[in-house]
Amino acid sequence: MTHYLTRRSPFVIALSLLAFCLFGIALGSASGTTGFESWFTALRDDTAWQIVWDIRLPRSVGACAAGALLGLAGALAQGLFRNPLADPYLLGSASGAALGVAVALALFGGNPFATELLVRMGLTGAAFVGAVLAVLLTLVLARGVHHNLRLLLAGVIVGVVLGALVSLITLMRPDVLQGMQGFLLGSTSFIGWTSCALMLGVLLVCVVLTFVLSRVLDALSLGEATALSLGVPLASVRVALICVLALATGTAVAQTGLVGFVGLAAPHLVRSLVKTKNNWIVLLSSLMGGVLMLVADLMARMLLSPQEMPVGVLTAVLGGGYLLWLMYRSQTTRASL
Amino acid sequence: MLKSTVALSIFLFATSVVQAVVLRDDRQLEVIIGKPPQRIVSLLPSLTETVCALGQCQKLVGVDRYSNWPESIAKLPRMGGGIDPSIESVVAAKPDLVLMAASARGAERFTALGLTVLSLEPRSHADVQRVIRTVAQALHVPTQESERLWRQIDAAIDTAAQSIPAQVKGQSVYFEVNRAPYGASESSFIGETLHRLGVRNILPASLGPFPKINPEFVVRAQPNIIMVGESSFSDMATRPGWGNMRAIREQRVCYFKSEESELLGRPGPRMAQAAGIIAKCLIDKSERSKAEPIDKAKVQP
Amino acid sequence: MADVPQSNNQGVAVNLPKMAFSVRDLHVSLAGQEVLHGIDMSFVAGRWTSIVGPNGAGKSTLLKALAGLLPVTGRIFLFDHELMSMDRKRRAQQLSWLGQNESVSDDLRVWDLVMLGRMPHQDWLAAPSAHDHSVVKSALQATQAWDWRERSFSQLSGGERQRVLLGRAMAVQAKVMLMDEPLANLDPPHQVDWLEQVRCLTSQNTTVISVLHELGMALQADDVAVMQSGRVVHQGACSDAATHSAVEAVFDKRIAIHSLDGQWVALPKL
Repeated sequence: MTHYLTRRSPFVIALSLLAFCLFGIALGSASGTTGFESWFTALRDDTAWQIVWDIRLPRSVGACAAGALLGLAGALAQGLFRNPLADPYLLGSASGAALGVAVALALFGGNPFATELLVRMGLTGAAFVGAVLAVLLTLVLARGVHHNLRLLLAGVIVGVVLGALVSLITLMRPDVLQGMQGFLLGSTSFIGWTSCALMLGVLLVCVVLTFVLSRVLDALSLGEATALSLGVPLASVRVALICVLALATGTAVAQTGLVGFVGLAAPHLVRSLVKTKNNWIVLLSSLMGGVLMLVADLMARMLLSPQEMPVGVLTAVLGGGYLLWLMYRSQTTRASL
Repeated sequence: MLKSTVALSIFLFATSVVQAVVLRDDRQLEVIIGKPPQRIVSLLPSLTETVCALGQCQKLVGVDRYSNWPESIAKLPRMGGGIDPSIESVVAAKPDLVLMAASARGAERFTALGLTVLSLEPRSHADVQRVIRTVAQALHVPTQESERLWRQIDAAIDTAAQSIPAQVKGQSVYFEVNRAPYGASESSFIGETLHRLGVRNILPASLGPFPKINPEFVVRAQPNIIMVGESSFSDMATRPGWGNMRAIREQRVCYFKSEESELLGRPGPRMAQAAGIIAKCLIDKSERSKAEPIDKAKVQP
Repeated sequence: MADVPQSNNQGVAVNLPKMAFSVRDLHVSLAGQEVLHGIDMSFVAGRWTSIVGPNGAGKSTLLKALAGLLPVTGRIFLFDHELMSMDRKRRAQQLSWLGQNESVSDDLRVWDLVMLGRMPHQDWLAAPSAHDHSVVKSALQATQAWDWRERSFSQLSGGERQRVLLGRAMAVQAKVMLMDEPLANLDPPHQVDWLEQVRCLTSQNTTVISVLHELGMALQADDVAVMQSGRVVHQGACSDAATHSAVEAVFDKRIAIHSLDGQWVALPKL
């Protein structure tokens, strides 16, 4: 079994995940409140065409892209911090994005200058800025990237403190909490083609950068001292990878809100399928994240149609369920040895 | 002598017993209110408004931070929110009746500290009538008063409904509560108001009061009028697929300011005012196309 | 021995041994505490030096400082070049480091793991060359890990893992190898294998500096550096009597060093 595992080609797995993504997108464009019907009537009926092309297709493509960004970020986080429990939000980006949205909603309508700026940025811009600023704050608090533990602690502190600020704002302004409900639980409701283009563009940049820098993650897996002794420019590459992490996470969170578990589960799922170096792990985690998010989004839209469930709930159930099954399966095989 | 003393005692006892009111509140607990309360703390805006509508505003000694009507309560001390009342300030005000929501915290604490707590949370039109009656009983306001108040409110809603021209009735409405998007269906309070005004809600009651709806559903349903319950980030036209909706193209969207939308969702004595606001929106933004041919016919000789 | 012809005061040509490391007035502080106090020492190229001393003497810290992994006060010269100002890649090509108890977090294939040792010689995005492949192959064969090169690291036992890590360190083909407790988890036959490997390396002019707590193995080295409380108490050839008394002294004379079969052994003094 184990020899079979190592001999599976990562290339084949990548192709099959990509095929799953495409299939999922096609399925997503056909499901929704009217089911498959819209596909067939789309060519004749204007509204049906609009529903398929303007609403369902960008939602599915966007879900895939957001999932891919989160999967990539998760693989990065786990490699950088050498911790299998790391997820993309561990440097405070989730709380930062939530704070950005809360502040934007609270300020809107108050200060005219702020209002104009906010309308132009949109809530997505506010969420992105919040996420990136939170990661920068973590870097400043940890005084650089030299100590993993300090970075992790600073990330936890930033996450908790910013989360408390969000709670404070929503307490003083309950209408802000209303506006944030959709954001906090994650949803692909209003993803259009511009959002898709943005996410796919950022995804391309992040994948290329990570692929180029992935050797450092391999060296890092041997330990910091060994990585340094191999001549790796550890500090500068760490900063670069953390920037990629912040960019990927911020972009995904800005468009779909806080969707948990995808970043955590995708790399684990990939490693359960194939054992390979970090360059492939990162790419495959990205594809796996896209598949995970697509399936979750499909189920979120179909289970209670025409109502929708928050995507975050389904990603947790799906990702967590599969991991539980993996854990149980490996326990029984070990017990039988 | 003895007989008259006994008779007097029985009479006094009887009147005092009659004076004590026993009510069942929304926690299904029995609450005994002996004398008419003189110091009232209200921790829910709709209950504050009910007390004032019954003419007992002067007895309020404290309200929650979200109560904002009428003007006369502006100077009253604020005692926290509904979910997080300040136990200390409420107790310090020495109230003989505390009105709070059934879902609020602190009821057991107040009761343990010796205060009388009445938990009421109006959620529907029927609830408003019941709550007005219950609060009137608790405040020892005569039943005629509360019934009169309710009839006033009911009549005002009817007036609002009648002010809407016939061709507007029967149009379909989508009421968005927040941008997730959560909509108000027929079974919500706002939905009931819409129903009384004679318009159709695209969200049926089977979805629950505030369903998180697939935006596609709204596009398919093509509502005649859209109402947005929150004024922030009015970017509806930019939502994918929404720019082409008839209602958005023809600008038949009502944006309610935050005070208005607060009022729309508050089941209390001002619900007639709320109905009036919605009616005005319906009249303003309804389809005029059916009216035009008739006008042209009048104009042409 | 690579000697550099020099001339002494009388102008007579003298062959001085080349120094792999020259350490001048080295001070190292960890978490605010000074751990190494003013170390002055040199390591001759092409010889195997083992560093011994009681716990907390600063042996691992000295080794890390020599590898350039710690901030130091003082000067360290690697083949007459200032260590700290060396180009990172050049330093990585000349120094190979094998740390103590360093956990491997990823689940790599044995082959891929040893290939990581070739990183200092590879271009950033280049695929491994044929030369890289042959170096990795010989490293794996030298540590008897060739047969399970396709297995994943997590499936190996402690001793097998240590051998793979050794192979990784050898794949660097550096002129200097610094090893901290390289015999951890190794059973006696493989400890002897390691010994033979080191002898082979020094015969090819590689400098080996190791920290070993197995005194028996440590006394197989060419030179011994004895440390106590952050200072170097003695440094000399292993066969010197002065070295033996220094070693016995630093362990509070609880051991005695004897000669047996032409090798030095340390026996407890009961």
